[in-house]
Amino acid sequence: MSDPQHSLNHDIKQLIIEALGLEDISAQDIDDEQTLFGEGLGLDSVDALELGLAIQKRFGIKIDADAKDTRNHFTSVASLAAFVTAKQAA
Amino acid sequence: MKWINLEHLLLPTIAPRALTAAPALDHAGLCAQALQLAAGLQQRKVRRLAVHLEDAGQLAVALLGAWRAGAHVLLPADLQAQTRQRWQGEVDLWLSDQAQDCTLEELCQAALPPAALELDTPCLSLCTSGSSGEPKRIDKTLRQLANEVLALEALWGQDLGAACIIGSIATQHIYGLLFRVLWPLCAGRTFVRKQLPFPEDLQRASREQPAFAWVASPALLKRMGDNLDWPALSQVRKVFSSGGELPADAANALQQRLQQWPVEILGSSETGGIAWRQGSSLWQPFAEVQLSQDAYGALRIASPYLPAGHIEQSMDAVEFVGTRFRLLGRLDRIVKLEEKRISLPMLERALLEHAWVEDARLGVVQENRASLGALLVLSPAGLHALRNQGRRAVTEALRSHLSEHCEALALPRRWRLLRQLPYNAQGKLPQSEVEALLLAPRPQGPEVLSQTQVDNQLQLQLLVSPDLAYFNGHFPQTPVLPGVVQIDWAIALAQPLLDQPRRFAGMEVLKFQQLARPGDTLALTLRFDAERGKLYFTYLNADAACSSGRIVLEVAGA
Repeated sequence: MSDPQHSLNHDIKQLIIEALGLEDISAQDIDDEQTLFGEGLGLDSVDALELGLAIQKRFGIKIDADAKDTRNHFTSVASLAAFVTAKQAA
Repeated sequence: MKWINLEHLLLPTIAPRALTAAPALDHAGLCAQALQLAAGLQQRKVRRLAVHLEDAGQLAVALLGAWRAGAHVLLPADLQAQTRQRWQGEVDLWLSDQAQDCTLEELCQAALPPAALELDTPCLSLCTSGSSGEPKRIDKTLRQLANEVLALEALWGQDLGAACIIGSIATQHIYGLLFRVLWPLCAGRTFVRKQLPFPEDLQRASREQPAFAWVASPALLKRMGDNLDWPALSQVRKVFSSGGELPADAANALQQRLQQWPVEILGSSETGGIAWRQGSSLWQPFAEVQLSQDAYGALRIASPYLPAGHIEQSMDAVEFVGTRFRLLGRLDRIVKLEEKRISLPMLERALLEHAWVEDARLGVVQENRASLGALLVLSPAGLHALRNQGRRAVTEALRSHLSEHCEALALPRRWRLLRQLPYNAQGKLPQSEVEALLLAPRPQGPEVLSQTQVDNQLQLQLLVSPDLAYFNGHFPQTPVLPGVVQIDWAIALAQPLLDQPRRFAGMEVLKFQQLARPGDTLALTLRFDAERGKLYFTYLNADAACSSGRIVLEVAGA
């Protein structure tokens, strides 16, 4: 359970819970592939804005504002983790 | 760019006017489509239609077409089942992006001839939550809207010049409708069809334009990060913000990054624009708006954007400073969450309809994002559910129950389960008290209902709060009071019995016989034997032995 991928996913779940003030939800309750916005976890566009800021701050990365469809990275924990990994490698 | 009055938008023009792109639409194309739609609506004898379209260009066609046909347009706030049901009886047809509704294309027929639009019959209904929480319809005439766009152009038209209007907010509400659609149409400015709620998209759209301006809201403007190309964005001609007050630090940050202050608009669906401010805490009324106050200090508004002769009584308390004013807050229990108007009494009533709820009060929790929190007293059935299914099952069920009554944004994110709500002697529970309770952490200790001490023995009645912090992990679906917590409580509550400062040194004959669960009342007996340094404890749960044992307490520092 200590592989880096798993731990990054866990960190992102923890960040979602803390940044968005979610109660009664723990990291285990969020699936890696679960849709975060709209249906699924039920988050909205303001949460997406908050999460964008929190991700950039926590992982010291920048969302490339000139790239198209940057918000697709926010679909699920897995896609966010892939995005963070790619950005940190860059 | 030549101004065309709202009522004359469908009259033939000679000079070509660009309007929007992707797909490209110019003013002549807009008129052609609107006149075709008008014909289709007349043919179907549609008198009233509900319109919900994401595309500002399509919305422009729908509005002008409907008005040309003499039809009344209702703009619902959303397309939720409840909303549809609420308005179903008042409209002949729904025009939206959803598959079950009509599209523009299928309504179009051979065009009606161009004509000026009627100014003084009601032509538009906006929807908002009224003070009781019931969705409320606000009717407007074209003249009210026409007056307002003229005033906007007089104030900011010159600064905007040929700026393309880019919006982060929807066009279903008065602000987006005026600023993203009607004003640009009259002024001959181009606009971006889609709502762009994210800063990266706003930046990309801005960069495609030689000149641009933003129609935004605090939800976006206070969350724009360092990842943006601020030097490029500082070309923005104007930044408009409305829907709620922009916090001063967000306004300051924008000023630093853009070298200009955002223009904030104060208004409501009922009144249209009331006042504006730019880099000031004070609001400047629009030129033709006349303001006064009632006995409670709440703003009263007379304006050419209201029906003639109507004075709108708001629930916003204000303080005048010369002709300008400061907002002091709402006098009722309508709150704004990220610019969405939410009626707390309506949601509380909805909560009370649930069999698990005995009493409930809601308040706003201001953290990274504003959300609602609920103070809840569970009914016996609710407590039963909590004890047997766990806290998450209860809050999820209540959220799901509420979701039939409100948008997802208004679903409480924080829940505090109380034995009773702390009403004051007048039977009131001030909102400040509700919000303080929501900010407080969940309890870790018991609620001491009574205690009596005889010699070296202490008798206590304890309530195990349904909201105890330990229950989440112990265990998620069957909350029980952990044994270690019972021992902690015994030591903490025994302090008055102790002869000198002592600390935990061990346990003897520890017995756990029965579970203690949320909402239980426990009788705790504590006896301290100073000679042996032992604390005897016994918890009874409804007369049945729950746990007992001896705690060895040694002298601290010994």
